[in-house]
This record gives sequence, structure tokens and C-alpha cells, in this order.
Amino acid sequence: MKARLAITALVALLIFCAGYAALFIAPDEATMHAIQRIFYFHVASWNAMFCAFFVAFYASVAYLVTGKRKWDALGVSGVEVGVICCTIGLITGPLWARPVWGIWWTWDAKLTSTFILWLLFIAYLLLRGLVEDPEKKASLSAIFAIFASLDIPLVYLANRLWRTQHPQPVIAGGQGSGLDPVMSKVLLLCLFAIFCVMILVLVDRYRLELLRNEAAELKFEIESRGLDAAEGATTPALQKGGL
Amino acid sequence: MTTARAAAIVLGKELRLEFRTRELLTATVIFALVVVVLFSFAFDPTAAESRRYGPGLLWIAFLFAGSLMLNPSFAREQNNETLDALRMAPISSFAILLGKILANLIFMSLAELVLVPVFAVLYNLSLAGIVWRLILVLVLGTLGLTVTGTVFSAVSAHARMRELLLPLLLLPLLTPLLIAAVESTAGLFAEQPALDRTWLAFLAGFDIVFLTASWLLCDHLLEE
Amino acid sequence: MKNFEFLFSAWMVVWAVFFVYELSVARRITQTREEIERLKQQLQQR
Repeated sequence: MKARLAITALVALLIFCAGYAALFIAPDEATMHAIQRIFYFHVASWNAMFCAFFVAFYASVAYLVTGKRKWDALGVSGVEVGVICCTIGLITGPLWARPVWGIWWTWDAKLTSTFILWLLFIAYLLLRGLVEDPEKKASLSAIFAIFASLDIPLVYLANRLWRTQHPQPVIAGGQGSGLDPVMSKVLLLCLFAIFCVMILVLVDRYRLELLRNEAAELKFEIESRGLDAAEGATTPALQKGGL
Repeated sequence: MTTARAAAIVLGKELRLEFRTRELLTATVIFALVVVVLFSFAFDPTAAESRRYGPGLLWIAFLFAGSLMLNPSFAREQNNETLDALRMAPISSFAILLGKILANLIFMSLAELVLVPVFAVLYNLSLAGIVWRLILVLVLGTLGLTVTGTVFSAVSAHARMRELLLPLLLLPLLTPLLIAAVESTAGLFAEQPALDRTWLAFLAGFDIVFLTASWLLCDHLLEE
Repeated sequence: MKNFEFLFSAWMVVWAVFFVYELSVARRITQTREEIERLKQQLQQR
């Protein structure tokens, strides 16, 4: 308990430092000025998303290989947290695009690919909701997660190849190459901070899933014992009868 | 019994089943035609626009029709638990899956054989000189559709709302295939028809990746 | 700052989403823990 509280406090402090750095320490960008600072959280949340989906992929393979339910618990946690990070990325993107390009959305390669990813892993969550048997749920969602993860590089590659044929608005400044050294440091700090937040939330979601599995097992135990208790009630009476 | 032989037997069974009634095939073709006609209301196709939107429309019609057609592949095995019977036979699960994939490939191809000429007529596009290359693109694209679609049919067969779930699982996954197929087809319908090697390689790569994944995961897919 | 509303909204979105999600997970953890205790007691009674 204490360790957990300490870690949460540490991560909160990290967030505060990262936020402060992003808003005040990082130098002002030449063309976009203040709004460019969204870039620090925007890129950081996409990074966190990929890490979460990678955890889900690893867990899905591990589940199919070992059959242990804890891997399924980790898998669903990874996907759910990944979808959360993806949602953040998809909201902060337009919030950046609107003042800079004057439009909320554009079908450029990265945005389109990420939107597809969002839909893909939401489908995973829907699949889980629609399958009732817990073991089937685990193995089917693991299979789908593996297929979806294999699709990730294909989605990005296809959109990149496709979009380079159509000229798109260039994002001035902001992208990785040739960053101001202070900006790079702030970016790294924000990447790390949001990564830690993601891990924290992931671990909690994993614990929740394990607890849920435990509760379900207890319920099952009670139900099967419940049947035995009804049958067993006749035996003591017969014994008392002294047959 | 080798996997190839077993797959061929399963394939034969699927074909015989379908050709008794041909209802799935007919419904698929009609549905795709409906999609094509609906699009003609949304966009008014002049010659230049047909060239631009045509390929996209064609492949979207195939994807929509495919997601409906692929559903019964495993769904109807649920009725009399015939999938259990299949699995009890001394054949690998990959043979069962492969047989169904090939059957679906044949059904989709037959539907496309009807649809592509009709589409060319409706949108005034010439098929002259590009037929073989078009067939290559169609086969590669349809293979990707049927491999992933058959696997997801097996996945959604265990779920509620499977008719809605299958497209939901399949269509986002297939967007790279859609892009590649549309670009390849557009290249062929252009004024100077050309087969784009990059996109063709992409389609082949897509098919290989998911066929391999299906092979690796087929035991888990079909187990009870 | 120019465009401050957008920057602020983005900042808020990031933290609000994580925070609300974390809160919901924490609440469900407590609920599930209570349920487990209840079920364990029920099991011991039989």
C-alpha cells in the first residue's frame, strides 16, 4: 500500500515537472508559438499507445502459448489503456490542427492510420463484450489482438505510401528531425512522464481484471457447492436413521 | 492424409453445399450491384470521375459484399455442431481452415467475374488490354479478404451479433489491403494502364503475413 | 499566449482522460474487493 502511494506521488510529481517544462521551459517555436507545445503531450501519448499495444500483443501470444489467465488479463488491460492513449492523441491532434491549419481534421497518413488503429482495437473490446464463455473470450480476443498487431505496421506503411502521392500540408517545425536541444530534452521528459502514467494505469487495470477473475471463480465455486449442499442434506438424516 | 488432400476434401464439401442452392452466391452478387447503384446516386459519374472513383467503389462493394458472404462460413457449422464432427476427423485444423478459405476465394471470384464486366459497362470503363493484370490484382486482393474474413468468421461464430461483429472486426483490418487494391486497379484503369509493382508487392506481402498467422493460430482458432 | 484556449483544452484533455479512467478503475477495484469478501464469507457458511 505504502509503496503504491509513494509511486503514485512520484509519478504525479513527474507529470507536474513535465507539464511545467512543456509550458514554460521549452522555447517558443518560430511559426506556431504557444500552440506548438501540444506537440509534447501529443507525441508522448502516441508513444504510450504503441507501448500499451505492444504489451497487449506480447500478452496475447503468451496466453495462447501458456494458457494462463493472467496473460489474458494483461492483454485486455494493454488494449484498453492503448485505446485511451489513442483517444487522447486523436483529440489533441485536431486541437493542434485547428489553430495551425484552420481545419479540425485532415486525412494525412499519420492521423488516418491512428484512427484506423483506434477502430481496430475498439473492435477488440466489442468482441470481448460479445463472447460469453470466459475461455473462448480469452483465446478469441488473443487471436484477434495478434492479427490487429500484425496489421499495425501494414496500416502505417500503406497510408504513408498512399499519402506521399497526394501533397499534404507540411507540419512546420514540430517533427523529430532537427529539434532544438532544449525541445528534445523537454520532449524526452514528457515521453517518460506519460509513459509512466500509462504504466501506472495499466497495472491498475491488470489488478482489476485479476480481481474480477477471482470473483468469478468464487461465484462458480458457490454455485457448484450450492447444488452439492442440496443433495448432501439427505445423507445425515439417513445416517441418523441408523440403517 | 496430407493437409493438401484434406483441404481439397473440405473444399469439395463447401462447394457441393453451396452449389446445391447457390443462394449465397446470388445474394452476394445482388448486394454488390446494389452498392454500385447506390454510389451512382451519391456521385454523378462522368468519364473522368469514373476513372478516379471507380476502382475505390468497386473494391468497397467487394469488401461489403465479402463481409456479409463470409459470415456463414463458420456460423452455419454451429447449427448441428458440424464443426466438432469435422475436428474429430484425422485431419489438421489448418486443412479445415484452408479448405474453407479456398472455397470462399472461389465464391468471391465467381461473384467478381460477374461484377467486374457489369461495373465496366455501367461506368464506361474499358477492360481491353488489362484483363490478365486485372485478374492478378483481383486474385491477390480477394485472397487477403478471404483469408482474414474466414478466420474472423470462425472468431465471430462464437459471439452474439455475429453479422455485425464480422464487418466490425474485418473492415478496419483490411484498410491497407483496400488502399493497395484500389491503387493497383486505378493504375490499370488510367489512361496509360500500368501495373504498380509497389502496391502489388504490398498485396502479396499482406496475403503472406495473414496466411502465415492463420496457419500458426489455426489450432487455437478451431479448438472447443 | 496566442491560441491559449486550444493549448489549455489539450492539456486538460490529457489529464482529464487519464484521471477519470484511473478513478473508474480504482473504484471498480474497491467494489470487486468487497464482492470477493462477501463471496468468501458466503462460501465459508456452506
